[in-house]
Amino acid sequence: MNIYNYLLDYINDAALIIQVAWAMTILFIVIIIPLIIYLKYIRTHLRTQERSIAVYEKKYESYLINYLYAGNEDEEISKEQQVIINQLKNSVQEPYKRKILISVLVKLQNEISGETADSIQQLYFHTGLLQYALYRLRHKKWYVIAKGIRELKQFHIREVQDEVMLHINHPRREVRKEMQLYMVNLFYFEGLHFLDQLETPLSEWDQIQLLGALERLQSQNIFSVNSWLRSSNDSVVFFALKLAKIYNQFDSVDELLKLLHHSNEQVRIDSIGVLSYLDVLEAKEILKLDIAHRSLDEKIAFFKMMENLYQKTDEEFLVKYIHDENFEIKVSALKIFKKLNKEKFESLKFENADPYFLRIVNFLENN
Amino acid sequence: MISTVAQIIIDLFHYLFFIYSISAIISYLILAYISAIETIEYKRKNSFVNYKEIMSSNISPSISIIAPAYNESLNIVENVRSLLSSHYVNYDVIIINDGSKDDSLQKLIEVYDLIEVDYLINEQIPTMPLRAGIFKSTNPAFEKLIIVDKENGGKADALNMGLNISKSKYVACIDVDCLLLEDSLQKMIKPFLEITDRTVIAAGGVIRISNSCIVKEGKLHDVNFPKKLIEQGQILEYIRAFLLGRMAWSRLNGLLVISGAFGLFDKKIAIQVGGYDKNTVGEDMELVVRMRGYMEEIKQKYKVAYIPDPLCWTEAPDNYKIFTSQRNRWTRGTIETLRKHRKIGFNPKYNILGMLSYPYWLFFERMAPVIEFVGILYFGILIITDKIKWDYAFAFIILAYLFTVFFSLIAIITEELTYHQYKKKGTGIHLITIAFLEPFVNHPFILYAAMRGNFDYYFNKKKKWGEMTRKGMAKA
Repeated sequence: MNIYNYLLDYINDAALIIQVAWAMTILFIVIIIPLIIYLKYIRTHLRTQERSIAVYEKKYESYLINYLYAGNEDEEISKEQQVIINQLKNSVQEPYKRKILISVLVKLQNEISGETADSIQQLYFHTGLLQYALYRLRHKKWYVIAKGIRELKQFHIREVQDEVMLHINHPRREVRKEMQLYMVNLFYFEGLHFLDQLETPLSEWDQIQLLGALERLQSQNIFSVNSWLRSSNDSVVFFALKLAKIYNQFDSVDELLKLLHHSNEQVRIDSIGVLSYLDVLEAKEILKLDIAHRSLDEKIAFFKMMENLYQKTDEEFLVKYIHDENFEIKVSALKIFKKLNKEKFESLKFENADPYFLRIVNFLENN
Repeated sequence: MISTVAQIIIDLFHYLFFIYSISAIISYLILAYISAIETIEYKRKNSFVNYKEIMSSNISPSISIIAPAYNESLNIVENVRSLLSSHYVNYDVIIINDGSKDDSLQKLIEVYDLIEVDYLINEQIPTMPLRAGIFKSTNPAFEKLIIVDKENGGKADALNMGLNISKSKYVACIDVDCLLLEDSLQKMIKPFLEITDRTVIAAGGVIRISNSCIVKEGKLHDVNFPKKLIEQGQILEYIRAFLLGRMAWSRLNGLLVISGAFGLFDKKIAIQVGGYDKNTVGEDMELVVRMRGYMEEIKQKYKVAYIPDPLCWTEAPDNYKIFTSQRNRWTRGTIETLRKHRKIGFNPKYNILGMLSYPYWLFFERMAPVIEFVGILYFGILIITDKIKWDYAFAFIILAYLFTVFFSLIAIITEELTYHQYKKKGTGIHLITIAFLEPFVNHPFILYAAMRGNFDYYFNKKKKWGEMTRKGMAKA
């Protein structure tokens, strides 16, 4: 008691700053003790949760396998299947169990195809999971909407296309990306029509995801990309350029040639790449006219094109560039020059004493 | 009169110390709060990412992994194997043997069936010349591997050679002994491809400590918590720095440093600014500051991104000699970079870089050990002259200690709620214990190393890199 009184007197008599310091000390002690308890709790909880998830996953997998084997041709849903649906319906009401069930369904959906996959989709309807996904589409939080769209995509729910399309220009890129993947995965090339209304940027990452989804499709009938090549959204133009290259869009050559004069430099560079890939000689002739006034990156892209589309008549033009300051242009020009006129190329060794230049010539001579 | 003036000076001194300490504490709390927001946001966003598409896509951009090696014979074969095991589709690995005096090159030639090849180098950055030349494998399984053997010029020079050699759009500069997880490249490249409203010039990742971890065939097999306090202390320090510090700076777009152990750069911009500076021991931080400064000068919107996932594991010093030598070098690197780029500091032309990042690094990274050291000296003088007010001293020492413990516990909880890397039972109590012990087991050495770094910077200019003795990671 004496110590307590002594401490109390000490604090009362101490300067204000000391009082504040001790108050803060007590505050930290009061915070640190629960933090330690919390830390112990979350570590235990995470371990328990891991075990619990494994148990539920096993349980639901067994339900689903029984469900798939319990089907018969006479009834849409057999009695045994109805029992399983009722059991799963109970689980669906709890968010924790619902999450695990969906992950098991998705895993199974990805591993199977044909009628079995249709059965899984039926199960998704009958357990009421669809209602939860639709409810998510109208949620305020972006990540809930994105999860909803992803789920609808995973279970191939085509009927809600209009509701999903409402998010085409959502401020969050994750929602937009899920919407785009939903459209392409469920409606294939037709789904790409969201590009007509897209006002927000389509990132390179998004484009890779979409092209990956398209690549997996069996149908390779692509619509014309011309309207997207004319888009006022530059990122749509970039995507259309990739489509034109991957799907050999020779019908789009006129539009591609127009892009050589696009206001965006990167569009011009990418167009050069696509035209080179499609072997459009006309592009080379257009670019030759004003290449001197174009940016360095355009020049480099042009010379890469020349490596592919060179002709004997280009020799005179090329000679001007074999001593270009830029390494890539110089190497490209020399490479083509060697192919056009080997004799003159070899004589270059004796015309120029610059060791750097000679090193390039020697390298190209041997490779 | 004189004693009054002296008293005013002493009082002013006290107030400055007090204000500095309070500002440091407030800044840590603000950064921790911002980190929490950014971490939650990142985890949410990442739950929608499918990395498989980028792995197999032919249009994914090319990346060169550049790894300088100097006398790494002990682990070089395993390390290269680890670098070659990435799941990314479009990458190559460039190992720069920087004039090693051991048999590193011979080992690589034998194991990877290397032959010398003719290679046209675009020498955009001057470097030391080639020694034995450039090698590629005759075995198609190692077609992504390029070995460059050059005269010794230091880490920065070796990295610059890698920049010249690389034909990729992006370069991942890493320490050769680092263990990269298989999905590291796709995670690091994501911000470059995803952000559309500005140019991403560089991305840094979290570095984790691999001491005591089990490695099998170049892959991380089992994560263990080391037994030595020095190693445990560094784990806690890294968690604090990466999860509570850099995460916040990333959100503020004020990240000033990307660890030299693993960083991804836009090659064109890295070359445009002249590559790595050979005259500093903090070349990693210096390059980022220079690239940022350049982007500010050309008035182009940019970002230095940060990936909090544990992508890169590295061996940390396990004895105090090497530990202090490493921290000494870090201190000198920071001083050199801040001095070299002093025109950026407090310059509104450089926006956040000049008005926030630079001042923060100057006051709370560069000056912190100096101020702490002066404080300890002053404390000693007060004890000797018997002028110490023990009630003040005692209250504030306890308060500072509890704040440190509190901050460490917050970092550990963040780790548990996000990445939960140390899953094994019993590790929790070690983590809590080290939160209480770290101020005594590692901090005094960090302070000593920082002060030695300051001394060496001003009075021992010849000092360059310290030595790191590799033991190699435990193999299963």
